[in-house]
Amino acid sequence: MDAAHIRNFSIIAHIDHGKTTLSDRLLHITGTIATRDMEDQLLDAMDLERERGITIKAHPVTMLYKAKNGETYELNLIDTPGHVDFAYEVSRSLSACEGALLVIDAAQGVEAQTVANYHLASKQNLLIIPVINKIDLPHANVTLAKQQLEDVLAVPSEWAIPCSAKEGIGIVDILEAIVERVPPPKPTGEPSLQALAFDSYFDTYKGVVTHIRVFNGEIRPGMMVKLLHSGKSYEVKEVGSFNPKPYTREKLETGETGYITANIKSPSDVKMGDTITDARNPSAELPGFKEIHPMVFSGIYPINTADYEALKSSMGKLKLNDSAFAYSSETSVALGFGFRCGFLGLLHLEIVQERLRREYNMDIIATYPSVVYKIHLTDGTMKEVDNPAFMPEVTYIERIEEPMVKTFVICPNENIGDMMALIAEKRGQVDHTETLDARRVMLSALVPLNEILIDFHDRIKSITRGFGSMDYEPSGYADSDMVKLDMLVNGEPMDAFSCIVHRSKAEGRGRALAEKLKEVIPRQQFAVKIQAAIGGKIVASETVSAFRKDVTAKCYGGDISRKRKLLEKQKEGKKRMKSIGSVNIPQEAFIEVLKA
Amino acid sequence: MSSTTASVRSLYVHVPFCAHKCEYCAFYSEASSGELINRYVGALERELELVAGTLRPQTIFFGGGTPSILNLKQWHQLLHTMDRLNLLGAAEWTVECNPATVSLDKAKLLRDFGVNRISMGVQSLDERLLERLGRIHSREQVFKSFDTLRAAGFENINVDLMFAIPTQTMEIWHATLNEAFALQSEHLSCYEVIYEQDTPLFAQLKAGEFDVDEDLAYDMYETLIDRCEQSGFFHYEVANFARRAGAGRAAPRPVLSDPEIPDFACRHNVNYWRGGDYHGLGPSATAYIGGLRTRNWSNTPLYCEQLEKGKRPFETREELPPLQRAGEIAAFGLRMTAGWPFEEFQKASGFDLRSEWAGQMSELVNKGWAEESPVRFRLNRQGLRFADSAAEMFLR
Repeated sequence: MDAAHIRNFSIIAHIDHGKTTLSDRLLHITGTIATRDMEDQLLDAMDLERERGITIKAHPVTMLYKAKNGETYELNLIDTPGHVDFAYEVSRSLSACEGALLVIDAAQGVEAQTVANYHLASKQNLLIIPVINKIDLPHANVTLAKQQLEDVLAVPSEWAIPCSAKEGIGIVDILEAIVERVPPPKPTGEPSLQALAFDSYFDTYKGVVTHIRVFNGEIRPGMMVKLLHSGKSYEVKEVGSFNPKPYTREKLETGETGYITANIKSPSDVKMGDTITDARNPSAELPGFKEIHPMVFSGIYPINTADYEALKSSMGKLKLNDSAFAYSSETSVALGFGFRCGFLGLLHLEIVQERLRREYNMDIIATYPSVVYKIHLTDGTMKEVDNPAFMPEVTYIERIEEPMVKTFVICPNENIGDMMALIAEKRGQVDHTETLDARRVMLSALVPLNEILIDFHDRIKSITRGFGSMDYEPSGYADSDMVKLDMLVNGEPMDAFSCIVHRSKAEGRGRALAEKLKEVIPRQQFAVKIQAAIGGKIVASETVSAFRKDVTAKCYGGDISRKRKLLEKQKEGKKRMKSIGSVNIPQEAFIEVLKA
Repeated sequence: MSSTTASVRSLYVHVPFCAHKCEYCAFYSEASSGELINRYVGALERELELVAGTLRPQTIFFGGGTPSILNLKQWHQLLHTMDRLNLLGAAEWTVECNPATVSLDKAKLLRDFGVNRISMGVQSLDERLLERLGRIHSREQVFKSFDTLRAAGFENINVDLMFAIPTQTMEIWHATLNEAFALQSEHLSCYEVIYEQDTPLFAQLKAGEFDVDEDLAYDMYETLIDRCEQSGFFHYEVANFARRAGAGRAAPRPVLSDPEIPDFACRHNVNYWRGGDYHGLGPSATAYIGGLRTRNWSNTPLYCEQLEKGKRPFETREELPPLQRAGEIAAFGLRMTAGWPFEEFQKASGFDLRSEWAGQMSELVNKGWAEESPVRFRLNRQGLRFADSAAEMFLR
């Protein structure tokens, strides 16, 4: 297809504003899929995604549309992960497009994720087509939604197209707008092939299947191509597109979207955002490539020690289709053998844990998540630390920087006070408050990433009884008074509970942990002291008193067998206990506290 | 090992009936009367017949339940059968009695057939606590029954007491001990309340009706040991205290082989702790003969049915490999303050405590819980408080 008849676009929306329904409707009306297939053809693949109403990954879909002007266009819908945890992946997907449909629920209006996604799309200079969806709902307020578009996002309201993806209203208008408003792809003027690798998945038979957008030249089977960042060259085996099932094509030309296979065995050989070019006659790389780095870290351990190998293999499989997930083995005195894992953000962490549990049936426990701190040492060097175990001694530390995020919180007016208090509690600073409509405001705040990891989202939901929404984007680093909090049992540290926290929070957290540990650590023949310590200073202390006797009062002939079995069971249980110093603690105790 | 040729010298008989089931009791018993008791007596006679060939009892223990609930006629029938089977004449023959069900006639009948020891389930001498425990007797009945038993000629009486009963204070415990000592019994068994699953007391605890004060329970136990020693009772097992002969009391015969065990210790129970053989008859009773442990059905009609068909009413059998069995014997013997004379242990188990468990023994000695002499190993007062922890170490 000539570039003038190609349009590449994506759909961005807040959760539940109707992105998936609209995608399906577009596929249907262009005849890409039949109605009867719609149920199975939903773009969201994983249960988990459907449950959470978000799409993590979907194939780009190629549709053919005969416009009112009588011409047929190739429309490529490039899906985005839809959450800023995957900001880089989103930005790569968006950079494969020239335009984006920004879907807003007419009954809900602009939400936090609408704002965050809009920012990402406008950074890529995409043409935005606002779509006001669900106009069939009784509470729909198109006028208000349009007003918010102008006020919050500075998007002219006359651009907006009212629609109901569910009822099929306004779909043709959207398709026409895509043809008319989204600019056609333009060749870059480079001498040869330039294609952007913006996603990939692993196929057992074909190896890595890479999603590409051709920016310049063309790509066909048999061609030798080079991936500029990985530096590796491959012979292209197969070229194709999705409708939404994969189908092979002779070639992909400038402006087109699809996939290639090239016998690539390891997903890590294809970096997201890499440029694919002609190996014999290479062109320059496309802009915007970044190495992705995990932002959030946590230890993941099998609850049953014997599952270590199974967990390792599950993580390997998971990584095949999630190259952003990083893991390496680590050991903990309390939890045994496990893995230190890196994630793009909190949602990513949750998704990986859930997938390990559901898809791989692993029984796992995760340690307190940590972010990456920049530790400036007295010798002038800087060390990045994501694991409290590797925190340098206080005397060597000059200052510590922690990652910050800009959060957007949208909440009903009556909750402003509570929301401000929550942000303050989370060490955040509100820098902007904006009235969205008669009943809602949007707060923009700078908050340490570390503070939103644990319960920020849940607290917003509970304060606003479900009406609030939150999203965030990375916003650099800032100096911060961070300390390492250690939990000690009779003077010995319990590594699984060490964490890096702000000094103002350390004592409270230490006290809460000590109290919980006191409940779960079994009594021993001696008193057990549980302490929270910052450096050498004890900030909280609890004691598990010694048990003063352990003897069955009544034991005669008929009791011996039962009693023996009981003692044998206890003895077995003690073998499985973790011994920290001289204190025996069942692994279940650690798990209970980590779960709480 | 075969059980048919050996002559077993201990017999336990379980009487699974009570006038009323107590709040704390997890033993197999039921409040029942009339026909079922008659049927039980008949079945028990069948069971006695089946084991009589291998039994020459030196100790007999009728426990329950409440053995004293059997009426005169039923006792008559049972004792005559035992006579016919040549099972009378044990050196120590104990019957457990509830103070509410002791009559002079019954006491005399038992004494006439050779019962020479009575264990009285007193539990407390505080009216309010007796009610709390669901006991059917009053404190007055305790004193009256005790006199009745003495009048019937019993010269070896045990008093069972409980402590750490919910709402029991240290003052109440002292008062109960005062009155118990005043009875001048030969033997005292004192148990901390055990919260056994499936008892009303356990359910009340779980429901939060009261808290367990562990420190108070500990102090009550320490008080008990101190006061027993001051009152002439020798502490010979975790929960058992007995007098020595003298001061008008002649030692029961034959004299015990271990001088560390007081004369009035319950020989039948000592046999349990020292890993000896015994027959166990009646519903839910356990027997242990030649390393084979069997347990009867804990269901009286089913028990009767089996015996009426001429079958042994076993519900379970358990036979441990020799070392595991020796470990069990070692573990439970340490409940006695006399511990294990090495020679005695070798006889009971076939193993040498000093070679097989040298590590555990020195660990316990180093912990300050035990002492070892050239002839025996035993837990000391501190170690006895942790007898279960120590026992666990000896299991194999």
